[in-house]
Amino acid sequence: MVTWLLALTIGLPWLGALCVWAAGNKHPRAQHGLAAAFSVVAGLAALALLPFTSDTAALSIPVGGIFGDFTLTPDGLGVFLAIIANVVGSLAVIFSIDYMHGEAELGRYYALVLFFIGAMAGLVLCGSLLFMFIFWEITAFCSYALISFHNDDPKAVAGGIKALIVTQLGGVGLLAGALVIYGYLGSYQITDFLAQANTLPPGLLGVIAFGSIVAAAAKSAQVPLHTWLPDAMEAPTPVSALIHAATMVNAGVYLLARFYPAFAEVTGWTTAAILVGLLSALLSAMMALVTDDIKRCLAYSTISQLGYMVYAVGVGALFASQFHLLSHAVFKALLFLGAGAVIHTVGTRDMRQMGGLGHSMPFVRMVFIIGGLALAGLPITNGFFSKETILEGGLGHGPRWAYIGMLIGAGLTGLYTVRMVSMVFFGEANPRQRAHDAPPAMRISLSLLAIGTLTTWLLAGPFSRLLAGSLPFHDLHPESSLAITTEIITATATWLALVVIGLGLATWLLRDRLAGLRRRLSPVASFAADGFGFEWLNQQIVRLMTATSALISKSQTGHLNWNMAGIAGALIVVLIILAWSVQ
Amino acid sequence: MNIPAFVWLIAVPLLASPLAYLGGHMGRPSANRRLNPAREVALAGLIVAWAPFIGAARELHRAGQISYSLGTVTLTLDGLALLLAAVALALGTLVVLYSGPYLARESGQEKYYAMLTAMVGVMVGLGCAGDLFNLWIWFEAMAVTSYLLVAFYREQPASLEAGVKYLVQSAAGSVLVLLGIGLVLAQAGTLNIAEVRAMHLPTSSLLATGALFLIGFGVKTALVPLHTWLPDAHSQAPSGISAMLSGVVIEAGLVALLRSLSALTAATPTWGSLLLGAGALNMLAGNLLALRQTHVKRLLAYSSLAHIGYMLLGLGIAVYAGETTGAQGGLFHLLNHGLMKGLAFLSAGALLYTLHIAAGNHNPLTISDLSGAARRYPWPAFTLSLALLGLAGLPPLAGFMSKWQIFAAGFQTHNALISGLVIFAALNSVLSLAYYAPLVNAVYRQELSDTVRLGIPLPLAMNVPLLVLALAVVAIGIWPDLVAWLTAPAGAALLAAFGT
Repeated sequence: MVTWLLALTIGLPWLGALCVWAAGNKHPRAQHGLAAAFSVVAGLAALALLPFTSDTAALSIPVGGIFGDFTLTPDGLGVFLAIIANVVGSLAVIFSIDYMHGEAELGRYYALVLFFIGAMAGLVLCGSLLFMFIFWEITAFCSYALISFHNDDPKAVAGGIKALIVTQLGGVGLLAGALVIYGYLGSYQITDFLAQANTLPPGLLGVIAFGSIVAAAAKSAQVPLHTWLPDAMEAPTPVSALIHAATMVNAGVYLLARFYPAFAEVTGWTTAAILVGLLSALLSAMMALVTDDIKRCLAYSTISQLGYMVYAVGVGALFASQFHLLSHAVFKALLFLGAGAVIHTVGTRDMRQMGGLGHSMPFVRMVFIIGGLALAGLPITNGFFSKETILEGGLGHGPRWAYIGMLIGAGLTGLYTVRMVSMVFFGEANPRQRAHDAPPAMRISLSLLAIGTLTTWLLAGPFSRLLAGSLPFHDLHPESSLAITTEIITATATWLALVVIGLGLATWLLRDRLAGLRRRLSPVASFAADGFGFEWLNQQIVRLMTATSALISKSQTGHLNWNMAGIAGALIVVLIILAWSVQ
Repeated sequence: MNIPAFVWLIAVPLLASPLAYLGGHMGRPSANRRLNPAREVALAGLIVAWAPFIGAARELHRAGQISYSLGTVTLTLDGLALLLAAVALALGTLVVLYSGPYLARESGQEKYYAMLTAMVGVMVGLGCAGDLFNLWIWFEAMAVTSYLLVAFYREQPASLEAGVKYLVQSAAGSVLVLLGIGLVLAQAGTLNIAEVRAMHLPTSSLLATGALFLIGFGVKTALVPLHTWLPDAHSQAPSGISAMLSGVVIEAGLVALLRSLSALTAATPTWGSLLLGAGALNMLAGNLLALRQTHVKRLLAYSSLAHIGYMLLGLGIAVYAGETTGAQGGLFHLLNHGLMKGLAFLSAGALLYTLHIAAGNHNPLTISDLSGAARRYPWPAFTLSLALLGLAGLPPLAGFMSKWQIFAAGFQTHNALISGLVIFAALNSVLSLAYYAPLVNAVYRQELSDTVRLGIPLPLAMNVPLLVLALAVVAIGIWPDLVAWLTAPAGAALLAAFGT
């Protein structure tokens, strides 16, 4: 039974991808229908895994040779993330029915989205490091192909390739880790590694631990490897919601949480995680504050929220990090899809050209505000409870300087959220904009996600039991929802955070009186708008590679004389090396 | 005397070659385009050769190694020879199938098919050579057949230039190999590889000989900086021949290099480290040279340099550290690269044919020419993308699995320097995305380039080889064990030859 469910969770989306592709672009209605049907059933299959969670592999296929065994383990962490992948995936597909209406190449679009959903579920359910890496790479490929879905747009192509190369670059860290584990333990199984991690020489364990941080930073768009995510916003908006907000970008946090028991003791590792999380949370919150592109604003906020999760792992608050991951997946998908509904009707991503859309789009405004409350961390949304759990963990177990930084980040989050909501939905309406509210398929996705944003925090108890029950290496204790929420509401950290968030909101309301302060901060703002120099660094690296390539291309003279000289020269060099090696 | 199957595997293509030439001369293909005797005979010859191939594979599986002596010449089939034979025969058969429509308008087809068939037989023979002199003879024969194929478009100056460069540089390499063989003969008095290995030659002459072999065979293997003939030759040849050259001829050079070095095992670790160094150089130079390339076939040619680098990494690990996984991985990559690069060249060639060649235009195919190709030619565009992504090492395609095996071998050595080299190779693989990915993006544009708009419909027969290769690339990527029966004995044979 559980084997079948696992196979369906991964296999159904892939089968759907083939079917949609086979249906052909001449039958768009069939393509929409097939994609929605397959993704919804796959979502149900993932949900049906809930009662079957266990810590042992339910499926094991020997692949032979050095490729080890392909295993699927339905433990709490894996099942929970697979549910997010498949359920949010199906909502994004349903949303696409309206959003992608009339677009060319629907077959390629849906096939890639469904291929992604299956791969994402595989990535989190897989018990073998090699196959986890394979799924990891497949999700990167789908992300690239969907970002540059509109291949005629040079910005989309550049964004896609950048995303692919940066995440693959980070992937080398995971590759090194997996290979060290196989080279020394002779197994790719994650459980074997967690059980025997302390038998590895400390230096090698460090390679694995820091390699994983590099991989996680690339995948979860953390500083300094975050620059691909804002550029990834060229993707169709449902893709941004699914891949670049709710699922793929979580893979890095998942990786760190998965291996936390092995890495926690590695010198400097937790500090590194805290630092990466803190920098990401703070810097990207500032960047979100100065951008006028609604999708880039949401992208920066994703980096920032993922920073909170990485920070949570760093301070050992594993439950908090995964709880926030759940909340964030739901409310950020809601915000992205809401933004998609807006972009779909006004045809621009520039918030300066929006304004006053609340009158014509009351439904979207309502759900967007719900999402915004969750992002800012205000009650009674899921974002409030999960963010407070993180801050509480940080105050209790983390260094004080990091906690203060994260608190400031919470205030900035409140500030940029209210700025975004008011720029889009309030204020003077742009007379040239003729907006209409979301069509039916979009509404289905938006309302379900809005309901989720208001309610998933109620699942805190079952969620903690789910994780604690099937992760033998993680030291987690199940608690009831009531206990968790009461603890949050009565904690000092919560009230402190609420005050800081309130300050953030007040800053927006008093922005005219604070004009002097704003002027003084304008150098910081322009530095933030330039991406704090990380983008510059990126471009320098690209320039260096191109220049090296140009230089080395000169060696290909096309003259036979030089070619022959190359042969003679190589012989002489090899002889010299050999003569030198003899002595 | 009972002749083993593998001898027929060499003989059948070699016999089919003159028949194809004669057939082509007698039945004039221009009279009736539907029937092309030269191609028919070549195809029949190569298809028939699959029977002794299966027989040879079975015999090898039973016996481990098969020898056959004809006078003083001994041919030996081992795992390595079988792997090379498999790649040569598979690509050869598909290329003959493919070339029918591709060459339909060209004159001199009988020479093309005769040379192509002969080349397949010669490469099988090269793998089976048991002494240095015969190795050299087979190697030269392979070169002779390929010169004419590179310069097949004999009216095109660029094609002739490529042929001349290839000829001169290869000849220089051959001379060096011959000098090396002379040194061995002078010292050891025999050229049989196994006997030379047992002789324990003095170190200085051993090293000098190895250097001559490395550079001599290295020209054909396209080791940087001996590779300068390759971008011209591989891009100017008819696309089927480009597939053969990149997919198996340079790899045959690599096998010849390994065989010759295996006579000099007293210095095995030295050869291992030289192979590793050459591999690193090839990866980096190949990727950097391909990075700014806009001509599709030249880009693919440069990418072959990088892939030779990955193979050398695996084989270097095997020779240096005696790691079976490395030998198996390097040879697995040889096989996969043959399939993927073959697919890439044949797909690009299909597009080159419909967009340029069919109109009698010999301009190179550029990336911008391919803009929107997927809309009019969905199948070759898809297979080209598949091949490129496979070459870039994306799972679940064949290229990922063999690279992984090579990388795993590196870490199994527990040697920090080799592990560092593996990381370097992985970073190179990431770098290669920077030139593979834009090509895929261009193909899937909505806006058609003028060339695509004016292109003729694709002949259906060209799709068959693309389909076969695409299926193989995906199947091996999903289930790498499918070809372990080829790569495992090949890796074992290589390690046995180096005595580690």
